Amino acid sequence: MPVALEVTALETRVTSNVNKPEPTLLPEYCKGCGRCIDSCTKGCISLGTEINPLTGLVPVTLDLDRCNHCGLCIDACPEPFGMRPEGEEVAFELVDPTHLCGPRPFDSPIPIPRPDVTVPLPERSTMVMKGTYAVAVGAVLAGCRHVYGYPITPSTEGAELMAKVQPALDGVFVQAVSEVAAVNMMYGAGGAGKRCMTFTSSPGFSLMLEGISYMIGAEVPAVFVNIMRGGPGLGNIAPEQADIKLACRGLGHGNTQAIVFAPATPQEMLDCSMLAFELAFQYRNPVVILGDGYLGQMTGKVRLPDHMVVPGIPEWAVSGDHSHRGNLICSIELSEVGLEAHNLMLDAKYDRMTAAEQRADLHRCDDADVILVACNTPAQSAKGAVKELRAKGVKAGLFRPITLWPFPIDALRAVLPQAHRLVVVEASSGQLEDEVRLALSHAEVQPPPMSHVQRQGGMLPSQAEIVEHVLSVEGVR
Amino acid sequence: MPSSVFYRQFERHDHAAGLHAHATTYCPGCGHGLAQKYLAEAIDELGVQDRTVLVSPVGCSVFSYYYFDVGNTQAAHGRAPAVGLGHKTANPDSIVICYQGDGDLASIGLAEIISTAQMGIPITVIFANNAIYGMTGGQMAPTTLTGQRTTTTPEGRTLFSGQPLKVAEMIAGLDGPVFVERVALYDNKHRTHARRAIKKALELQVNGVGFAFIEVLAECPTHLKLSPEETEHWVRDNMEPVFPLGVKKDITDGPHYPTIPTPSFDVERILSVLGTTSEQPTRYATGFPAHLDPDDISLKLAGAGGDGAQTAAMLITRSAIAEGFDSTHIPSYGPESRGGTSYADVHVAAVEVLSPAAPHPHVLVAFNAPSLAKFGPTVRAGGVVIYDSSIITEVPDGRADGVRMVGVPFTAVAKELGSAVVKNIVALGALQGVTQLFPKDTFLAAIRASLGNHRAMLALDVQAFERGAALAAEFVAGP
Repeated sequence: MPVALEVTALETRVTSNVNKPEPTLLPEYCKGCGRCIDSCTKGCISLGTEINPLTGLVPVTLDLDRCNHCGLCIDACPEPFGMRPEGEEVAFELVDPTHLCGPRPFDSPIPIPRPDVTVPLPERSTMVMKGTYAVAVGAVLAGCRHVYGYPITPSTEGAELMAKVQPALDGVFVQAVSEVAAVNMMYGAGGAGKRCMTFTSSPGFSLMLEGISYMIGAEVPAVFVNIMRGGPGLGNIAPEQADIKLACRGLGHGNTQAIVFAPATPQEMLDCSMLAFELAFQYRNPVVILGDGYLGQMTGKVRLPDHMVVPGIPEWAVSGDHSHRGNLICSIELSEVGLEAHNLMLDAKYDRMTAAEQRADLHRCDDADVILVACNTPAQSAKGAVKELRAKGVKAGLFRPITLWPFPIDALRAVLPQAHRLVVVEASSGQLEDEVRLALSHAEVQPPPMSHVQRQGGMLPSQAEIVEHVLSVEGVR
Repeated sequence: MPSSVFYRQFERHDHAAGLHAHATTYCPGCGHGLAQKYLAEAIDELGVQDRTVLVSPVGCSVFSYYYFDVGNTQAAHGRAPAVGLGHKTANPDSIVICYQGDGDLASIGLAEIISTAQMGIPITVIFANNAIYGMTGGQMAPTTLTGQRTTTTPEGRTLFSGQPLKVAEMIAGLDGPVFVERVALYDNKHRTHARRAIKKALELQVNGVGFAFIEVLAECPTHLKLSPEETEHWVRDNMEPVFPLGVKKDITDGPHYPTIPTPSFDVERILSVLGTTSEQPTRYATGFPAHLDPDDISLKLAGAGGDGAQTAAMLITRSAIAEGFDSTHIPSYGPESRGGTSYADVHVAAVEVLSPAAPHPHVLVAFNAPSLAKFGPTVRAGGVVIYDSSIITEVPDGRADGVRMVGVPFTAVAKELGSAVVKNIVALGALQGVTQLFPKDTFLAAIRASLGNHRAMLALDVQAFERGAALAAEFVAGP
C-alpha cells in the first residue's frame, strides 16, 4: 500500500522561544507509551484512542493550546524520532517507507586505509632463546604492540617477556581476569585494527574458542599461540598435540576455519609468528600457532629477520576517528539469507587460504619408500629417525606440515607415488592422522598403507620408537 | 530534531525498510530508549561523535549499533567491558562506551565488569537495570527483586534463588572507578538527573579522569506485564527501595588515570629492548668436540629445583651457539617452584639438533642422589657421570659399561667460596674439566654475557668455574 504521509498536516508553528520550542510528534513514530503524559504539567497530552494503521499502535494526542514550551515531554520520549522540538528541521523528510532502501543515508566519511610499512633491519648476531620467546620476538617485529593474556603453563614465559618488552616499547600488555576476557580484549583491539595476540595453553585455548568464533564471524584478525599440554581436563603441563582437532575442526561454534601453523623449532616459531600477523590481516581472520610444551620451553638459536613491520590502520577498523566512524565490528546477521551469504563469503575466503597458504617442509622425501608425517617437536625426533633409518638402509623421508590447516595436501600428493608407507608420528591419539586422512580423502588420493607412532599424556614419540616401528613394519613387508 | 549522534535513518535495521527507518526495536515504555537518547545527547554535547566507540551488548539493546552514528562494535554476551578495554588500549583517544543490561553485566559478565572497573581505565559503562531478562522473554535476572515473579521464578524469587544484586554499590566498593551513580527515569526530576549523570560519566572519560559507571533503573513494561505508567510506579515503589538512587562514589578530584602511551616502532629502540647485538661472539674452539661424538652430543643435568641445573644447561647451549654449533635445551620440572625435580636435556650438534630429548645422554650432571639413581643407568656406554660428591655419598650400581664416574663436591666448594648458589657453576667447571666440551673461555664468555646487569657476581662465578674445572682435572689425572 503506497502511503503518502501528511507532513504538512503537522503545521509548522512559529515559536517565540527558539530554545524552548513546542513539541511535535509524527504519530507513526509514537509507540503510545505515555511517558510524556505525566511529564506535562499543563495536561496537553493524552492517551490516544485511534489505532495508527501503519504501526498498529495507539499514539498519544497533543493539544498544545496550553503548552508553555517547557520541553519536558521531549525529554521524556524514549524514541529518537518521537517527540521532537518543532521548527528546528522542517525539512525532515518522511517519504514512502517502501522507498527508503537505497544508498547509506548517513554521512560518515569514506575511510582511507593507512598501509603497513616494511622497514629493513640491520644484521644482528644469532640469538639464543626459547620457543615462546621467539614467537614473542616475531610478534614484536611484526608490529604487535597489544598483548592480552592469562598465565598458564607452559605458555607463560611468552606473556612474561611481553610484560617486559611491551611497556618498554610503549605497547600494551594486559593480564586479563580470564582467557574469556583476554580473547574479548583481542576482539576489541583487533576490531580497532591493531595487531594483537595472546599466549595460552590447551585449557585456556578451550576457553577462548567462543571468542574466536565471534572473531571469525566479525572478521577480526588476531594471533593465538597455543603451547599445547597434556589433556583432557587439567591433564598436566607436559607436551602433547591433542588440540589439533580443536584448531583445525573446532574453533568454536559455526562455520569457522583459521590458518593453523605448527612450527618445529624456535627459529620457525619466530618466522611463523611474523607470517601469522601478515596473514591474519590479509584475510581478516584469526591465525593459530600450535606449539607443544617442549617447543615452547626449548631454547635454541634464532636469527632475526631482515625486516620488521610498522603496521598501518585498515579501512575497516573501528578506530575511534572521523574517517572510520561508519565502521561496525559485528557477528550478527539476523536474516537467514544474509547469514547464508556471509557464510558463503567465509567459505570463499577459506578456499583462498586453502589454495594459497599450504606450507610444508619435505626432508628426503624424493626417493623415500617410507614417509614419516610429523609436526612440532615430534617432527624433530622423526628427522633424527630418518637419519638413523637411512643409515640402516631404509629409505625414509619426513613430510612435515607447517600449516595443519590448510593441510599441505598438494605437496604430500606429489611425493606419494613412489612411497609404499605413510607413518604418522604424533603426541596425540590420531588427531594429526585424522587431518592427513581427511586431506587425502578430499583430494581423492588413494594413500599407501598407513600406520602410526603415537604417545600421549606428555610423552613424545622418541626417535628410538619411531625407528623401531618403521623397522617392524618394513620387516613384515 | 533528534540528536545528530543518531543515524538519520536506521539503515542497519532491516535496511531501514518502512517504519524501522526511524523507530527503535524497544517496546513502548522501555527504559533503554531514554537512556540511549541521553547518551546520544551527551556524545553530541561533548563533541566526541567521531571518537566514540560504542560497544553493544547481548540483550534488548543488542542493536544499539542500529541507532548510534559512531564507531560500533557488538560484543559477546557479558564481555563488553573486555571488548571496551581492548578498544581503549588500542586507541586511547577513542571514547569507549559499554552499554549493558543486567543479564549481560551482572550475570554472565561479572568477571569482566569487576576487573575492568577495578583497573580504572577511563571508559564509560551505562548499566540498564530493569530487574528482568527482556530479550529471552522475562526470566529471572540477578537484579530481580525478592518475591518477583518471572518465567523462571514462577512462584516469585525466593531467598534461595539469590537476592537482588546491588551492582552500583558493588562497583563503588572497588578502588578503580572514579564515579558511580544510580539514577532512574520514572519522572521529570529523575530524568533530568539521569541525563546529567550520563553526561558527567562521559565527560570524565573525555577529560581522562577515569572509569565511570551509571546504573539506570529502567522500565520493562512488557515482562512486568504492566502498562508503561504502572511500570514507572513499580520502579519507584518497588525497585528504588532495594536499589537506592544517588552517587555511590565520587573521587573525581583525585589523580587522573595515567596517559596510555603511543607505541614505538623505532628500529634502534626495538633492537635494544629485544636485547639484540651486532657483536659476533669470539670463537675459542678449533672444531666440534668430536672426541665425545662425531656430530651430536647429548647431556642431561638433573637435580632439585633451585640447584641451578637449568641455568647451567642454558650456559652450555649459549656456549655451543657462540661457537657456531646448533644446540637446544629443554627443561622439565615438577609443579613446585622450589624443591621439586628439575631436569634439563641439552644437545650440541655440529649441524642440526634433531631429537632434542636426551634419553641416553653422553654426559650426566647429577646434583642429588635420586637424580643419579634415576638417570645414571641411562648414560650411554663410554659416557661420563659428574655428580655432587658433597651430597651423594653412595654411588649406585647399574651403569652401562665404560661409564666414568666423577665426583666433585659442587656444594662444598660453593659454600667455601661463600655462596651455595654457585654450585651449578662449579658443576659447569667440572663438566668442562672432565669432558673438554669447549675451551674454558667459551664458558666464561657465556657466563659473562648472561650476567647482564649482575656483573657483581662475575668474580665469584669465575672462581667457582675455575675451582670446578681444576678439581675435575685432578680427578681425571688420577691420584
